[in-house]
Amino acid sequence: MNLSASSLWLIPALPLLAAAIGALTPRGGRSLASGAAIIAMVGALGLSVAALGTALAHPAAHLTDNFTWFSIGTDAVRLGWLLDPLTAFMAVMVSFVGLLIFIFSLGYMKEDANFTRFFCFLSLFAAAMLGVLVANSLLLVFVCWELVGLASYLLIGFWFHKPSAAAAAKKAFITTRIGDLGLLLGMLWLYHVRGTLLFYDGGNGVLEPSSLALLSHGKIAGGIALSTAIGLLIFCGAIGKSGQFPLHVWLPDAMEGPTPVSALIHAATMVAAGVFLIARVYPLMLADQHLANVSVHALTVVAGIGAITALLGAAIAVGQNDIKRVLAFSTVSQLGYMMLALGVGSWVAAIFHLLTHAFFKALLFLGAGSVIHAAHHEQDMRRLGGLGRRMKITFATFAVGMMALAGVPFLFSGFWSKEGILHAAHAWPVSQLPLIAGLIAVVLTAFYMTRLVAEVFLGSPRSDAASHAHENSPVMTVPLVILAIGAVLLGLIGTPAWPWLQSNLGGVVVPAESIFEGPGLMVLSIVLVCLGLGVGWALYGWRKRRDAFAPDPLAVAMPGVFAALAAKLGFDEFYALTFGRLNQLLAVVADGLDRWVWGGIISGVAWMGEALGTFDREMDESGLNGGFDAASEKLRGVGNAYSRAQTGEAHGYLRTLAVAFVVLALLLLLGGVL
Amino acid sequence: MTTNYPELFCAFAGEASLVLGMLVVLGYDLTVGRKRSPTERWQASCILGGAALFSALVVGLRVGVVGPVLGGEFMLDALGVGTRAAVLVLAGLTLMLTAGTARLRNPAEFVAIVLLAATGFSLMAVAQQLLVAFLALELASLSLYVLAGFDKTRPESAEAALKYFLFGGMSAAFLLFGFSLLYGLTGSIDTSAIAAALAAQGSSPLLSVALVMVLVAFGFKAAAAPFHLWAPDVYQGAPATSAALIASASKLAGLTFFVRLLWPGLGYATGDVALRHFSPGWLAVVALLSAASLLVGNFGALAQSNLRRLLAYSAIAHAGALLLGVMAAGTAGPAPLYFYAATYGLATVGAFGVVAVLEAAGVGPQIADLAGLYRRSPLLAGCLFIFILSLAGIPPLAGFFGKFAVFAAALNFGGLASVTGWLAFAAIFLSAVALYYYLRVLKQALVAPPAPGADGRIAVPGAAALALLLAALLLVVLGVFPSLLLQIFS
Repeated sequence: MNLSASSLWLIPALPLLAAAIGALTPRGGRSLASGAAIIAMVGALGLSVAALGTALAHPAAHLTDNFTWFSIGTDAVRLGWLLDPLTAFMAVMVSFVGLLIFIFSLGYMKEDANFTRFFCFLSLFAAAMLGVLVANSLLLVFVCWELVGLASYLLIGFWFHKPSAAAAAKKAFITTRIGDLGLLLGMLWLYHVRGTLLFYDGGNGVLEPSSLALLSHGKIAGGIALSTAIGLLIFCGAIGKSGQFPLHVWLPDAMEGPTPVSALIHAATMVAAGVFLIARVYPLMLADQHLANVSVHALTVVAGIGAITALLGAAIAVGQNDIKRVLAFSTVSQLGYMMLALGVGSWVAAIFHLLTHAFFKALLFLGAGSVIHAAHHEQDMRRLGGLGRRMKITFATFAVGMMALAGVPFLFSGFWSKEGILHAAHAWPVSQLPLIAGLIAVVLTAFYMTRLVAEVFLGSPRSDAASHAHENSPVMTVPLVILAIGAVLLGLIGTPAWPWLQSNLGGVVVPAESIFEGPGLMVLSIVLVCLGLGVGWALYGWRKRRDAFAPDPLAVAMPGVFAALAAKLGFDEFYALTFGRLNQLLAVVADGLDRWVWGGIISGVAWMGEALGTFDREMDESGLNGGFDAASEKLRGVGNAYSRAQTGEAHGYLRTLAVAFVVLALLLLLGGVL
Repeated sequence: MTTNYPELFCAFAGEASLVLGMLVVLGYDLTVGRKRSPTERWQASCILGGAALFSALVVGLRVGVVGPVLGGEFMLDALGVGTRAAVLVLAGLTLMLTAGTARLRNPAEFVAIVLLAATGFSLMAVAQQLLVAFLALELASLSLYVLAGFDKTRPESAEAALKYFLFGGMSAAFLLFGFSLLYGLTGSIDTSAIAAALAAQGSSPLLSVALVMVLVAFGFKAAAAPFHLWAPDVYQGAPATSAALIASASKLAGLTFFVRLLWPGLGYATGDVALRHFSPGWLAVVALLSAASLLVGNFGALAQSNLRRLLAYSAIAHAGALLLGVMAAGTAGPAPLYFYAATYGLATVGAFGVVAVLEAAGVGPQIADLAGLYRRSPLLAGCLFIFILSLAGIPPLAGFFGKFAVFAAALNFGGLASVTGWLAFAAIFLSAVALYYYLRVLKQALVAPPAPGADGRIAVPGAAALALLLAALLLVVLGVFPSLLLQIFS
């Protein structure tokens, strides 16, 4: 199967068409909207697989198809499509995971009144995300990126009648927009310097050597290379979209959306867009690496942010009681891992983890969705418990996902991709701090996942909802099983023994030893995983929770730490107190300026206008208007009077004709004389 | 003068096919049609007539612009070919509307006379020699008198036909008298010879009288005030599709006829309407007619409550603007005038077509009876919307572009400080008045709720619906791409 770059646009176009169909379908047309969405995803998946075939035939090439969007003067704004292994692998992953989540949604959203709208938004999201992947222009990426943001806003706020959902949607949109501002600035700066935003354009693209040399030579204030500044601005967009510290606050709140949305957007695909973007512009991020006399390298910042996020997310996840929030912070942490991998120089490891994470995190979210659906929307794990016996498939698949996420050795994909990242961090010459942060996060990850599984699936039911839960229909469990198989098997294509994915992704054959220097680090991380699992089991598995109101064992042991973690380290409050306050203050000042200074001026002008208007109206009413009305009446009167002259008598008509002839002839004759 | 028969046949194959079609229609009805039901006879006659019109159109376009024919008795220039094509299209639309709506007896006769009238229009479009021109005009006029009186069940129809005939006959007498005076003055009935002779002998009182006599007939044909008096009564009384033909194709053919006669033939006697050096000539008379028509048409329309009479006064107002185009043709050529007249004809045929469909469905002729049309028949309401707005000259419809072209040409003709400039301004201002009565129609059709008891759906016959949609489509397309029609002049 082959798909040329020039027909790559079909991949996002299919879901977009499905979104259009969904938007035009009335509420009753459930099967039409969902059928169109699923068929479109199947088509997109088929095309993506074909594109992968093409890309793997030339793994080192960047196949492009560029076209002129519009021209202003002599400048042409050009867009294009790009096909390389990165695009193709991501497109296959997004359309495959997306398809499974679409199918799962058939069951999960069955009772929702706005079923068709849901599928319309899902398709719109998928179209935008696939558009980000196939774009060969930062501008086109940005357009699709914002569409992704819009779709995410619509989906998080899908149950907008809940105030918390509406607020979460707003928060997600605004927070990511802060990052997008950076991306926009970076994009404009890049356009200003290079005059094009195409990634690859036969030697003229921004990611090609001539352009990179130009960008890394230019310096701006503070001893930073131009490429560093632009790269970091673009990274701002990734921080927002991928929920990195310090803009990670929106991601947990986004769990207000329906669970398939959380699985699709806030675990598998959309948040991965940031990681993908950095991987896409990786040559730009690397351009300053050879410079010695600069104050900072772009990738150092990326690694630092990634390490902080990985550690922070894992720590906060320990203190959460809502299933979806634990998973949300785990997503934050895992995205931190990916950024860390990008920062320490291994974008291949980042993308490998992105792909495996997409599978097992979608699996975990859908598993959580299955639990929530069965337990009548009970999400607090203290009030669940004992579901393992009632929901065997969900439990088994969830356990697979949990082990993949925790990095249980050898069998699970998460282990291999995480090892790749840890090895890359170990090999980083600049600092070992990211490696240490990553290793601590490994313990924490194993710990909170053990806690989650033990609280939800083991022990005894601690509420009516949990005790009456039962397994869901196949439409929901089959996607779980498929994802679980993927969560296991996907690891096999990237092991040090057979680094197929790594070799194909970059187009360079990766020798096994470059991602695996020796058993030392692996043994250490296996020990750390076991430590996390063991402590978790000791605290939550050994002595099971009796009732929903019993205090958490960790809270008993370390009350201060647990409270801080449960409060998400107070980021929301901190932002509310600083930026929120500042914003409010600015608002008050602006309001005062508006109300008193500008308002005063404007009311003065308005008063003058009103006075003039009053004067004018008097003039108008009595003078002009009266005259106009009278004239209009007169005109109608003329019409009436005239039509009375039209008597209908034929001899009168003929007489008029003769008289008119005489008058005209006389006029002409006399005119000639005069 | 030697007669070149192949050339003659080639140039008039279209007219020949019309006459042939007429004979076929009559023949069919006398033989086969006798035993058929009236509906079948209508359909067959209209299909045969349509075929004749279509073949005449195709042949006429294939012949194309060939210049003078038969020693200059006919002139197949762009204006002639364009007018021929337009009158055939308009006659075709009329036939389609008739096929769907007419409840008249004698279908074959109706169609045959429409074909005869079309032959007359077609000849008027190209005639250059006075005698031939007069014959063409009379052929068309006599056919139209018959068509106006065709509905023998309604006394109004007979009254309309009689008035039309009396008025038309008298103006034809004036025209013939004017022509004979011209012949007496110049010794020729050939336009170019007349022009040469007039240039040699200069103006004379007799020439002035001849000019006014010709212009009286012109005023009648174009329904320009003060020779418009027949128009409201005829438009009201005649069968709707006959009125459509009288208002559209006949007007277009008449304008072409007279603009051909006035500018090349009587070009010497134009006079001047600029303020500095005013001199009497036919321009001054046409300007007077134009001003009178603009005023009478627009103000007269304000008081009308009958849709047909309103269309009649609107026609008079449009005649005023068209006369401006006739004057401006001196510098701008006939293209703006032709575009205006052709698109006006389309809109008028359409509007009368709506009237015809409504009357066939028993919806009365008053504007008030249109109430709730948008619910009773969205198709009719939508088409009426386009026709009326095109008549009012609202962009992007063709009516707007026609007005624009004519007014621009008129402003160019004599500058701002001339009678034509003033008339152009007056016409623009009076367009605002016109908008009032046009929108009154649309308000009834599109806004007012249906009157109680009169809210059933109105069935639109297929052929009529097709004709209305075609006319509306042409108005939109020609409004957006006027060059499609104007390219024949370049």
